Amino acid sequence: MEHAAAAQHAVESGSRLQDLAWAILVLPLVMAFSTAVLTPRNRMLSAALNTSGVVVSFLLSFTLFCVFGGQAVDATPFHWLPVAGLDANIGLHLDALSTLMLLVVTGVASLVMIYSTGYMHDDRSYSRFFSTLSLFVFSMLGIVLADNLLMLFVFWELVGVSSYLLIGFWYEKPSAGDASKKAFLTNRIGDFGFMLGILVVWSLAGTLDIAALKDKLVANPALLGPWAGLAGLLIFMGAMGKSAQFPLHVWLPDAMEGPTPVSALIHAATMVAAGVYMLCRVFFLYTAAPGWPAALGFLDGVSAASIITCIGGFTALFAAVVAVQQDDIKRILAYSTLSQLGLMVMAVGLGARTGDPSASMYHLVTHAGFKAMLFLGAGSVIHACHHEQDIWKMGGLRTKMPRTFWTFLIGTAALAGLPPLSGFYSKDEILAVALEANPIFFGVGVLVTVLTTFYMSRLVLVAFFGRARGEGAGHAHESPASMTVPLLVLAVPSVAIAWLPIGGFLSHHFQPGHAAHGGDILFGPFNHNPIAAFFGLGAAIFGFSLAYSLYGKAPASDPLSPRLGLLSQAMRNRFYIDEIYDGIVVPLHNLLSQVADAIDRWLIAGLAVRGLAGAVEIAGRALRLVQTGSIQTYAFLLTAGVLLIVLLALK
Amino acid sequence: MTAMDSLTPVLLTPVVTAVLLLLIPGNLRVVLRSVAILGSALTAWTAIGLFARFQPGQVGLQFESLVPWVTVGPLKLAYHVGADGLNIGLILVTGLVGLAAVLVSWNIERHVKLFYVLLMLIIAGAMGAFASLDLVLFYFFNELALVPTFIMIGVWGRGEDRNWAAFKITLYLTLGALTALVGLVALHGAAGADSLDVTVLQRHLAAHPLPAAAQLWIFPLVVFGFAVLVGLFPFHSWAPIGYAAAPTATAMMHAGILKKAGLYAILRVAVPLMPEGASRWLPLVAVLAIGNLLHCAWVALRQKDMNLLIGNSSLAHMGFAFLGIASLTVIGVTGTVLLMVAHALLAGLSFALSGYLETQTGTLDMTRMGGLLRRMPFYGTALVMGFMAGCGLPGFANFAGEATILFGSWKSLPWLVVIAAWSGLVIGAVAMLRALRAVLQGPERPEFARVADAGHWRRLPFVVLLAAMVLFGVAPGILTSRIEPAAKVVVAAHLPSPPAAAAAPASAQPAGTPAQPGH
Repeated sequence: MEHAAAAQHAVESGSRLQDLAWAILVLPLVMAFSTAVLTPRNRMLSAALNTSGVVVSFLLSFTLFCVFGGQAVDATPFHWLPVAGLDANIGLHLDALSTLMLLVVTGVASLVMIYSTGYMHDDRSYSRFFSTLSLFVFSMLGIVLADNLLMLFVFWELVGVSSYLLIGFWYEKPSAGDASKKAFLTNRIGDFGFMLGILVVWSLAGTLDIAALKDKLVANPALLGPWAGLAGLLIFMGAMGKSAQFPLHVWLPDAMEGPTPVSALIHAATMVAAGVYMLCRVFFLYTAAPGWPAALGFLDGVSAASIITCIGGFTALFAAVVAVQQDDIKRILAYSTLSQLGLMVMAVGLGARTGDPSASMYHLVTHAGFKAMLFLGAGSVIHACHHEQDIWKMGGLRTKMPRTFWTFLIGTAALAGLPPLSGFYSKDEILAVALEANPIFFGVGVLVTVLTTFYMSRLVLVAFFGRARGEGAGHAHESPASMTVPLLVLAVPSVAIAWLPIGGFLSHHFQPGHAAHGGDILFGPFNHNPIAAFFGLGAAIFGFSLAYSLYGKAPASDPLSPRLGLLSQAMRNRFYIDEIYDGIVVPLHNLLSQVADAIDRWLIAGLAVRGLAGAVEIAGRALRLVQTGSIQTYAFLLTAGVLLIVLLALK
Repeated sequence: MTAMDSLTPVLLTPVVTAVLLLLIPGNLRVVLRSVAILGSALTAWTAIGLFARFQPGQVGLQFESLVPWVTVGPLKLAYHVGADGLNIGLILVTGLVGLAAVLVSWNIERHVKLFYVLLMLIIAGAMGAFASLDLVLFYFFNELALVPTFIMIGVWGRGEDRNWAAFKITLYLTLGALTALVGLVALHGAAGADSLDVTVLQRHLAAHPLPAAAQLWIFPLVVFGFAVLVGLFPFHSWAPIGYAAAPTATAMMHAGILKKAGLYAILRVAVPLMPEGASRWLPLVAVLAIGNLLHCAWVALRQKDMNLLIGNSSLAHMGFAFLGIASLTVIGVTGTVLLMVAHALLAGLSFALSGYLETQTGTLDMTRMGGLLRRMPFYGTALVMGFMAGCGLPGFANFAGEATILFGSWKSLPWLVVIAAWSGLVIGAVAMLRALRAVLQGPERPEFARVADAGHWRRLPFVVLLAAMVLFGVAPGILTSRIEPAAKVVVAAHLPSPPAAAAAPASAQPAGTPAQPGH
């Protein structure tokens, strides 16, 4: 209700600047549609339209950020599904969380669009690429701006479908077709839970509006009663799908079949972060008193947040281990993304104890910047090496592609968490929260940092140092400016973020009363929580030394694989999770459908029809034999029968 | 109200077109096609006009016309038509799908005249069935629409099995319709009113409610009789093979429009007039709907023929419709009517798409296709949109309907909602994405090097149907503002919270508590 009052106030004062949010949201959709309908054959115009659309959205987002800062305002809603008791609106909500996320999404998307004008230059479906990318941006902005759960779900699905279209962009490749299908279906399993979670919350709280829900829960923390835990977990299922948490993580590595700019934007910076963002949006659900229905009584005393922490921590560790033995440059980055998303999810769960998940959101922002840069750098490398993705066929790219190399190095250092780069500060906040909450997860965080630095150093040492191992790498040369300039621009936030008070900005959103602790100032981490900071830094240095000792002398093949033996095999095969699914889940569903089909064919069509309607059928068949078998006969009989019954009834 | 504000023009236009077609010599194919297209376009335009002039948010009938006819024994017959939220959307989509069905029939070469006459009769029959307020008239129009479908399957049908399919569909639908008719006659007898006019019955039953005992045996006759026409499990097996054998336009009209007549009759007659019968029997309908939601969805997974896939998944969607009715809530029934409108467009579109594909590839066996997106970008886009709408993608009207049903049914039938969500979000998606993978994605096949994308005019039916689906998906309020007042009337007897004794256990539980689906 406060929000309604605030909106009312804004109407009266005549300032409806927040309605600019509509322009931010709709502009990419308009561009996508215009491209699909008007300019499918004009490559230049398609690229120009879509890129400018997203850039204008970014500029408008920046304007709103400057005007409103972290202030909560609502744009005029659109009554989407007005049915009494449901009243699902499309309403746009601006606050610290969404304005910051707007900047991240439109900012990264703008750079990826510019990069794509170069990267996709030779593709014959250039226009389709840009319009689908714009469709994605529209869908993602809908998630960011959504003020209610059903709208969140609507755009959640739209993000899913645009991701499907982009992973399967090169649809003639069977692997791309399979990967797109897998991504969509895995996400749908998560969405199934998400939808049920929304239904549980709606039926108990009587509202879909996130702000109203929060007010109700603040007024009555026991509102969800025994359903609190289940509602939280069901909604988390949605995040498990989009943010690829174990066991729904299997789609993300395969999603690398899409063009590399897509991997950078969707499968590194934005879509996969949507799960974490959504958890932060409905964070208040996880701080409510935990409760379980009687059937789940064995979970008493466990909160949904602690389950989320465990899943996030496990995903972080698991994916980091797998990344150590991957050879495909994009797969290494994909597993790294999984692992970092795991850390963010873990941080949300841990934040439930302190009431502040800002560490997670902070890491999301910094990660979006450097991981997009790493993917675009990988794209530049792949482009230069004639679509070679195996790092063991690269080497010596440092001198051939200096701009790509230096930006990639900055990204790697940021991901590894070296000060003064952005990743250090956000990861430090996660470690600090973990140290306060639970030393086990602090250990997980430190171990993940060691592994992260290790596999990223391995990637850089093998691909950029030494001599070229393959033909493509031998002839590589630096990519055009359309590709390197976005890399340079993306390097800026990784370097500059240490000077920006983003952590405090977010903390203030979740805990308006608390003073920011200064974790965002250059040396802040060492003052605020020296143990976390030194452990984080030490882990990074340790990971790098380990990698250097193995890969520093430019070996021709991975010296680690023979040492790990069977474990290496398991890591290369992603611990056989995909095989387990292919071997159990898929056949099970196929069996069910086979059984259903057999029932349909034999029981219902055969026995039941012939049994129940047997007499009529035999009569019908007899008639068909007698009377030429034409269908008109049946029509005649039918009408006659009807008339007969009517006459009988009327006596 | 002007003279234009009547449903009569929308009924007469297809009839007049059919008569005109009869007068044109059979060898003037171009003239026949043009007249059919113009006639159906005019019908669609009239329907759009009516929908636009319909006042949303109002209870009661609009565009009503009543012309008394004859009295036969205890039964007064009348030409009584009118629209409210339950049927105005269906009249609109009958016009749109009818136009699309005429447009996709460009490849009919045999008995062109008879084909278009029958198609116009189906459109006229469907319009009449939805517009009628007198149940005798309703029944007549419904038969007028059904009989041509049987003939069309027999004459222009596809495949070896078309005679068996035509026989089976006739058998099922005739038996279903007869059962429902017996129910209606019994309703007339038990009520003691002097006509089978819905408005008369309503007034009469408000003053003299039907004894609960009578409701308990009449309600199932009406509901299960009509449910056969919709394809409620286990009375569904006629539908997929019937559609696979039917010519494209017939499948579009039947799956899209005529199936909805059964649901419409349940909502118009059975539920509002026999509330106690509804409380007693709808839980069983809900349990059977599980068969549609799970069984038919799984069967759809197995299909290699695109028409069988569409037919089975369309049955799965009907599970949602029954679930919404069984919820007996305003939200659930509103969602059902919304879904009926959306599904009419979707089923029409899906069969139009499969029909076009067959003209190009000569087969509907999806295992033999692949990579068709390269040569058919427009068609492929339409197929992706149609199939995505079919697995509940927001932005299309189908999602709005399904979501509304899920919300409306959650408090009374939570376990069914879980099943419906799994069916719609997961199983449906597997079936649709497998089909898209098989047909559009993958390497191009040499044997399909000559397939052609839909050209300008061929695109029109797809564009019309997709545009309507997107319009009602982006702004479902256009429909719900018209449906909701009528949905309140349908479940009026169940609105004060603990209505009949039978519904009490379910509603007495705290909201959100999983009640047994079979209460």
